[in-house]
Amino acid sequence: MTFVPPPAPGRELSNPPSDGISNLRFSNLSDHLLVSSWDKSVRLYDASANVLRGEFMHGGPVLDCCFHDDSSGFSVSADHTVRRLVFSSNKEDILGRHEAPVRCVEYSYAAGQLITGSWDKTLKCWDPRGASGQDRTLVGTYAQPERVYSLSLVGNRLVVATAGRHVNVYDLRNMSQPEQRRESSLKYQTRCVRCYPNGTGYALSSVEGRVAMEFFELSEASQAKKYAFKCHRKSEAGRDIVYPVNAIAFHPIYGTFATGGCDGFVNVWDGNNKKRLYQYSKYPTSVAALSFSKDGRLLAVASSYTYEEGDKPHEPDSIFVRSVNEIEVKPKPKVLP
Amino acid sequence: MSSLQVDPLQQVETTCGTLLYELQIIWDEVGESDTDRDKMLLELEQECLEVYRRKVDKANRCRAQLRQAIADSEAELAAICSAMGERPVHIRQSDQNTGSLKEELRKILPQVEEMRKRKSDRKNQFLEVVDEIRNISNEIQGTMECISSKTVDEADLSLRKLEELHRQLHALQKEKSDRLKQVQDHLYTLNSICLVLGVDFKQTVSEVHPSLGDSEGSKNISNEIIEQLAAAIQKLREVKLQRMQRLQDLATTMLELWNLMDTPIEEQQMFQNVTCNIAASEHEITEPNTLSVDFINYVEAEVSRLEALKSSKMKELVLKKRSELEEICRKTHMVLEADGAIEYAIEAIESGTVDPAYVLEQIELQIAKVKEEAFSRKEILEKVEKWLSACDEECWLEEYNRDENRYNAGRGAHLILKRAEKARSLVNKLPSMVDALASKTMAWEQERGIEFTYDGIRLLSMLEEYTILRQEKEEERRRQRDQKKLQGQLIAEQEALYGSKPSPSKPQSVKKAPRMSTGGASNRRLSLGGTMLQTPKPDSKATPHSRPGRKSDRMHQIDQLNCNPDNGFTALSTGRRGLDVAGLPIKKHSFGAREVEPPMMRKPFSPISSTASSKTNITNFSEDLNTATTHSETIQKALPTSNMNMPFSTPLKTTTTSVADEENKTPRAMPIPVPSTPSTGSVPMQTAMTPAPPPIPFAANVVEQIPEEIEYSFEELRAGFVLPKTHMKSSMIQV
Repeated sequence: MTFVPPPAPGRELSNPPSDGISNLRFSNLSDHLLVSSWDKSVRLYDASANVLRGEFMHGGPVLDCCFHDDSSGFSVSADHTVRRLVFSSNKEDILGRHEAPVRCVEYSYAAGQLITGSWDKTLKCWDPRGASGQDRTLVGTYAQPERVYSLSLVGNRLVVATAGRHVNVYDLRNMSQPEQRRESSLKYQTRCVRCYPNGTGYALSSVEGRVAMEFFELSEASQAKKYAFKCHRKSEAGRDIVYPVNAIAFHPIYGTFATGGCDGFVNVWDGNNKKRLYQYSKYPTSVAALSFSKDGRLLAVASSYTYEEGDKPHEPDSIFVRSVNEIEVKPKPKVLP
Repeated sequence: MSSLQVDPLQQVETTCGTLLYELQIIWDEVGESDTDRDKMLLELEQECLEVYRRKVDKANRCRAQLRQAIADSEAELAAICSAMGERPVHIRQSDQNTGSLKEELRKILPQVEEMRKRKSDRKNQFLEVVDEIRNISNEIQGTMECISSKTVDEADLSLRKLEELHRQLHALQKEKSDRLKQVQDHLYTLNSICLVLGVDFKQTVSEVHPSLGDSEGSKNISNEIIEQLAAAIQKLREVKLQRMQRLQDLATTMLELWNLMDTPIEEQQMFQNVTCNIAASEHEITEPNTLSVDFINYVEAEVSRLEALKSSKMKELVLKKRSELEEICRKTHMVLEADGAIEYAIEAIESGTVDPAYVLEQIELQIAKVKEEAFSRKEILEKVEKWLSACDEECWLEEYNRDENRYNAGRGAHLILKRAEKARSLVNKLPSMVDALASKTMAWEQERGIEFTYDGIRLLSMLEEYTILRQEKEEERRRQRDQKKLQGQLIAEQEALYGSKPSPSKPQSVKKAPRMSTGGASNRRLSLGGTMLQTPKPDSKATPHSRPGRKSDRMHQIDQLNCNPDNGFTALSTGRRGLDVAGLPIKKHSFGAREVEPPMMRKPFSPISSTASSKTNITNFSEDLNTATTHSETIQKALPTSNMNMPFSTPLKTTTTSVADEENKTPRAMPIPVPSTPSTGSVPMQTAMTPAPPPIPFAANVVEQIPEEIEYSFEELRAGFVLPKTHMKSSMIQV
């Protein structure tokens, strides 16, 4: 095989966060990009215009953020708070608190609720429309077997990945207990979980260069489809170096997905055909987060050291927004025999 | 007519003349005879005289009465005056009659009235005073019935008398107040004594007289009460004195005990109020309850406690001295005589028949004596020690000489050689040493007139025995040498018959007899053996299962152990005491673990160059070795080839072993990990079917088996987030 140099990594956004990027997300309505960072900030960029639209400073590192609509969003922080951010007025208010740093946040348009997962081993649901004050915004608290590491939503399904390789699948309409309690198929700590856009299952990545493709349906036929694959590894003189897979992002239209690892690579995969579609050129440091824009034409890549080797000198944190060619993400039908 | 009215007598005379004239007319008419007429007239005259006489008599009587009244009044006046001690008022001077009797009377009557009034006033005064006097006397006498009859003497109401009575009253009043004061004093005294003695004051007072109990009621101040009070005070004071004596005795004892035992000040402070009264006189003790029965009992209890303490300390001291004595004897190898004496003394102390101080003194005397003797023995004892250690060395040398392998070059062999050399020269000096010792001992014995004993055995006999034994040994040795020579000849002649040299016979029991306290040689040998074992230390990393990767190391150690079994294990086995032989296998392990542990560390995920030897790989292993994944142990058994991949902290994999990765049960297609061109054909994933969802046996086991290990995500580590549990470890160890 011939080695063709991969295209440029994309346009780098100006005014990146000054410390590690914990997550970034495109808006569902526009090309706005919300970025949370360890520098205690949440930044709103206009990705197409490469403009910093707003910035919110918090009391502690911001571990995750998400959009509500184009005018407001949410952030969760290591200072245990869950905040609602209003972009137009640049105001923020505290929706409530966890008892430990809050790791992840998702907004469910189906339920009109905000779901947060924390290292205090609970999941909390919030009604952001409620008046301020925790009594009125907090909908429920749901104990988890371990610290929550990653959340993902599709329709009314909520997948919760925690430490100890637990995976709980909830139905948002009945949060009293998980619909399914699973254990990660992978042997190592879960890094990221993302639901398929078609709602049939979820992809789960671990710290040991591996991604598992799972299906919600418990029928044998469905479960027979599940599989796991290795990725983000480097083969060097007969030895594999494995890297954590930090991020998974599904393409909103094609259902293919991109993974980002500590090796600084972003790979695009076709889960149905078990093929890798594309590998982007190496980013300066670990890929901490990935997000496709609403139409799938843009891919935001957070190249930011994720402290997998502790505190050490590293490349500056940066955000790249690249235009996605259809060919890079469109599934290729299997070659008929 | 008016003139008639003016003079009735004239009128009467006229009326009489007229009446007489009328009568003459009548008589003339009637013609009375003159005689009759005369008679009649005489009658009339007589009747008139009669009337006159009567009237005069009456008047005369009236006058007498008047005079009498005046006289009476005067007399009364005089009497009153005299009773009141005043000069009588002379209204009527005897000769000059100032007026008629009636005037006189009128004059005198108001005077009498006044005097009467004054007299009654005076009398009332008297009565008052007398009443008071009576009351007071009644109080003083203490009885109500007496002198109620005393009345006022009417005859003497003079001011003098009144004054006298007043004086009397004053005197009585003073006495009363004096008595009241006295009673009050008594009560006060009584109260203070009662307080000190801790006796109920009210009750005591009520016993004396019920009325004294009420604080507000009138006080009874009779002689009787005062006497009773005084008696009560006296009685209580005696009690107080007694108790004071008792307390002071106790205090004295206490002070002595404190002094004796160096009781801490804090403990003394509690009884400061007792000891401060030790020299106080009776009236100085005023503190309430200082002499109450309870308090005295309390102090008594303390004293008896101190005494018990003292006796126990005394006993302790006696025992200590005793052990000191024994220690000295032991050090100087003397035998303590009269062994039972101390036990007997202790019993005696306990029963109280012997003063512990005396026993102590005895023991101290004995100690001094023993010390003195020890000093005199010192020189000889030093020589004895030298001799005995030389004997030990001799023994050792003999055993060493019997050791066939003594010239094998093991570890520490040069030390042993050196020792043997020294021992030989020492043994050569032994006879002269014994001689010198014997002569010194004899000199000592002659000087003192007693035998020099060593642990109860006469030193000279020990020396003698030793010399005899030595001679015997010498003899034996000579015989052996001869025999050997003989044997050598025999062997030379009949080599074919015997094949090899017979081992020299071991006269084991030869040496044991003369040694009294010579375990030293074997001990020393033991410790020598210990050093050859490379000072095994217990190590926290000692795991009973050592990894196969370290097998070569371990084998090497075992070889090392095996290479000098004589020096190592035999030394241990010959050790008679002091070394725990059972502990040996553990130690063997422990030092296996030590050798494998290099200090090198590597952070996870850092790429390792392929040239890194498997040694570094093992290094990473040992990082989580202390958290001992028994799980990986089992996996190793199941998958011996992939054991390098188990802990996550080593992300290094050989391509060859990854084929056998147990996760990918089915053999997968050719891995093409290099980037592909975007335009050309896509690359197949390195997929593998994952096992059925619910239980993943391996993983489940892992989670359950290692509950104490807490994994942390990079974010948690970066945020410094630590689970609020006590049992977790901060090390990042993945399952």
